[in-house]
Amino acid sequence: MRSSKSSTAKALTSALSGRWVPVFILLEIVYFCFRSEGFANPNSLQILLFYGVQVFLVATAELFVIITGGIDLSVGYVLGFATVISIKLVAKMMAIGISPPAALLLATIATLAIGVVPGLVNGALVAYLKVPPFIATFSMLGVCHGISELIINGVSAVGLPKLASDIGLGYIFYIVPGSRSSFFVKPEVPRGTAVLQILPNIVIITFVVVALFAFVLARTKFGRHVYALGGNMDAAIRSGIPVKRRILGVYAISSFLASLAGIVYAFMYVSGKADAGAGLLLDAIAAVVIGGASMFGGSGTVWRTMLGALVIAVLDLGLRMSGIPTFDEFILVGVILIFAVVMDRYMQEAS
Amino acid sequence: MGGEPPIPRGSITCGRATMIVEQASRGGAKFWETGAGKSFASNWAAYFLVLMLIVFGFTGANFLSVTNFQNVIHLQTVPLLLAAAETFVIITGGIDLSVGFVMGLASVGAASLMQIFVAAALPVGWTIGLATAIVLIASVVPGFVSGIVITRFKVPPFIATMGMWGIANGVALKISQGFPMAGLPDKLTSIGNGYLLYVLPGQFVSAFAKPDYFPDSRIRELWRLVPFSLPFIIVAISVLSFALKRGRFGRHTYAIGGNVDAAIRSGISVDRHLVKVYVLSSFLAGLGGVFNVFQTGIGNYTTFNAQYEFFAVAAVVIGGASLMGGKGRIWSSAIGVLVLAFLENGLSISGVQPFYRYIAVGVLLVLAVVIDKLFPDIR
Amino acid sequence: MKKTIIAVLVVLMIALVAMPSFSQQSKLRVLFMPGVSDPFYYTMEKGVRAAATKAGVDLVVAEYPKSWGPDAQVPILQATIARGKFDLLLIAPTSVDALKAPLKAIYDSGTEIITVDTFIGDGDYSKADTDYGFPLSYIGSDNQLGGKQMAEQLAKLVGQKGKVFCEATNPDASSVVDRVKGFTAGVAEFPNMKLVDVEWDMDVQQKAQDQTLAALQKDKDIIGIFGTNVFSAQGSGQAVVNAGLAGAVKICAWDATKDLIGMLKKGQVDLVLAQKPAEMGSLSVEWGVKYLKNKTGVKVPKKVIPGFEFFTKANVDDPKMQQYIYQ
Repeated sequence: MRSSKSSTAKALTSALSGRWVPVFILLEIVYFCFRSEGFANPNSLQILLFYGVQVFLVATAELFVIITGGIDLSVGYVLGFATVISIKLVAKMMAIGISPPAALLLATIATLAIGVVPGLVNGALVAYLKVPPFIATFSMLGVCHGISELIINGVSAVGLPKLASDIGLGYIFYIVPGSRSSFFVKPEVPRGTAVLQILPNIVIITFVVVALFAFVLARTKFGRHVYALGGNMDAAIRSGIPVKRRILGVYAISSFLASLAGIVYAFMYVSGKADAGAGLLLDAIAAVVIGGASMFGGSGTVWRTMLGALVIAVLDLGLRMSGIPTFDEFILVGVILIFAVVMDRYMQEAS
Repeated sequence: MGGEPPIPRGSITCGRATMIVEQASRGGAKFWETGAGKSFASNWAAYFLVLMLIVFGFTGANFLSVTNFQNVIHLQTVPLLLAAAETFVIITGGIDLSVGFVMGLASVGAASLMQIFVAAALPVGWTIGLATAIVLIASVVPGFVSGIVITRFKVPPFIATMGMWGIANGVALKISQGFPMAGLPDKLTSIGNGYLLYVLPGQFVSAFAKPDYFPDSRIRELWRLVPFSLPFIIVAISVLSFALKRGRFGRHTYAIGGNVDAAIRSGISVDRHLVKVYVLSSFLAGLGGVFNVFQTGIGNYTTFNAQYEFFAVAAVVIGGASLMGGKGRIWSSAIGVLVLAFLENGLSISGVQPFYRYIAVGVLLVLAVVIDKLFPDIR
Repeated sequence: MKKTIIAVLVVLMIALVAMPSFSQQSKLRVLFMPGVSDPFYYTMEKGVRAAATKAGVDLVVAEYPKSWGPDAQVPILQATIARGKFDLLLIAPTSVDALKAPLKAIYDSGTEIITVDTFIGDGDYSKADTDYGFPLSYIGSDNQLGGKQMAEQLAKLVGQKGKVFCEATNPDASSVVDRVKGFTAGVAEFPNMKLVDVEWDMDVQQKAQDQTLAALQKDKDIIGIFGTNVFSAQGSGQAVVNAGLAGAVKICAWDATKDLIGMLKKGQVDLVLAQKPAEMGSLSVEWGVKYLKNKTGVKVPKKVIPGFEFFTKANVDDPKMQQYIYQ
């Protein structure tokens, strides 16, 4: 693309270079503060993080795969699969007498373990059978969808104990202004008393998990290998990287994070459907792309992907609170997506 | 490290990037080397289709009936169009994720135009004809935009068409306000669902419509033959297939898919051609949307879970095309569509829960690709 | 430049967190949270608005969810509630389980709740010791009775024998589930009739069409269909027309939209049941406001059941019936 190199354009470009995303988020926030009476409110931030949790997790999942030059279309339905399985497991365990806290813990561990399987299959198909990621993960999408629907047989999965939504919708600190405060457990107060709720549980969990994987990507040998796969496959092979194992690992991570998102969903909504995560695929890929990763692989960071996810999350919340119908959101996301890639190319050529 | 074959680039957006050459077919059982073996491999989808038809004939009552076959093909008219559209794009090494939603947009657009014309009291023929013409002409726009974004701005097709996916969806939802648009002329469904022949065995044969004096309650005794959609789709597919195989348009498409640099060197204006391909894709999606209005009698926006584009791509791959580009044929993609359609139909009539269909499609797809990998040189 | 941007971002974040919540208004504030975007709820909204104006309260209507389910409704609910303190919430909960916790949290913050059209738990808020007894009332149709009456009406139309099919929407919608239950029980009372299948189209009209077509193909002698709400009825009706079987298959539809009434007039549908969404809406506002103005003196019934009306070809043009059409 021919860039008109006027001096102002140049200055603006180099000043912004790569930073247009935070600026964009800022603009969005300012716009919505004016547009909606409730946006500028501590609650907004909490709601944003609450509903952003799933996008953050799935976007991180997608990032790992995209860095290697692949794609994972199955994340949405792996999420649904995990939701459904975790709920069914908890219900079964409680039916045989296991206490709710133990059931929740055991079911979570079991679901995470089972949830890695779709990823391993994806990885095996891509690495060993040379199936293109698009096809392999699309097939897995269908398989997870089918299995989830079979398990629930058309009816939403239910049966979680109250403890689950207490955790899923709960916060770490509660402060009753003027009297007391408590950890984890919501204080019993008369109706109508204001209670300050700080730091939702699921947000902390997500933050920890995402930070962990960001560390893995940026600082470990595994992470370096992942980037190498995306950069130049031949060079990677020649430098002795166990390519097949890395590919397996990357898809397994993707599936693991999607399953975690599914468990979070179950705790939040205490009911599960097979297509619980279907809409997240677009958001996740958009977040990764807006965050500057290249679809050809080799670049992208967790932090920037989170910013990309934030763009969409703020948009989402702002539109909801302003009462603007979400039809417009699809259009906006599509436009932003294309804009993001064009901007990145422009930046690259300008530098 | 010596013997390890290179792993193909995962990205499905490699259309313009240099591709790592795939390894030649691995040694396998001798059968695959023979002429018969090769013919089987390249047409396995067709053989599989026939096998399915036989099996379902046994497991499902009413499966092997003229009515059922006609119904299935009739309902697959739109997916067939979408698969044809996708074939062109995939041969060039790209992908078009927006076809499903462009179809919905066309459906909703045509319906809203017709609503306006009906309110303006235009005669029925004009209402239908004018709305159809306008929408068909307008449906080249999304493809044009995608094409420009891909060629001029160098956005990978996956992203560009995904963006168009969102835009088309949003606009369709805005027009339809979230639900199907009705109030359209009744003539639509009589064209869309009409048959060429109505036969009451032993008594009469009537063309184009059932005789007026025939009571509704006895409808089930009639045989209806050859839905209008059948000649329509056969003509459409034949034309497209011819254009791909014989026309210059087709040759250029294959050339770009095979090796972009060689295509440029041989004088093909690649950018212009790619835009044309995406325009064709979106036009076919628009045609599908218009047909959808004729078939259902209402304007339908495409729902999130419809996954039309994914099934179109799956059909094309089952039909033997490669996502890397350079391979693929329209009739093969059509067979891919039929395989998926009869799979669902057969399972449903045999009483199997439709959820198994999702699993079956997944497995089938992987199978298709594995076979494709074993014989990369076929067609 | 980078430092400036970060500084601005930080300041804004602090401002967001430090800013106090929206202060209370003097008029009563009511929030209406519909279930999904369809004519039934649009009509309900009209009833709510009319009653709100009459009662002199401030009304906010939340954004209509694009699909039925807690993952669409809860974020909208939370985002809209955050706009300010509401005294009364009128909501059509889209899940009997998932909405319990969020609604309880809203209740605990001091807002009264009335559920319209659908309920949480099992809909009986008068039971002691449940985790869903906190709403003031459930105002909606007796769906089970309606389903049963549908079965009886359909039986009359088809001569009390033959196969029938049910096209339903979402097993997560308490109202629809009750209708199917009632219909199944009703059909069972006719020994010569058989309910061959129940399909769920998730509120997508196109899917209803496809499923009905498949059912007609599988069981060639279906002579009656019950479409449990707007999209199911419209979809199955259209499928029957497309299959060329209009007239040979009797269709009874739940929910009197303009489209369905139009189909009734053309003979493509044989029976239409009209609920009273506008009345549900206005009743909920009236009871809620009555209670808020006099909490100790007013006893709100835990269940309020407006009835329904049946439209047939015979009375479809009757001027007295026109008010029940959803518009």
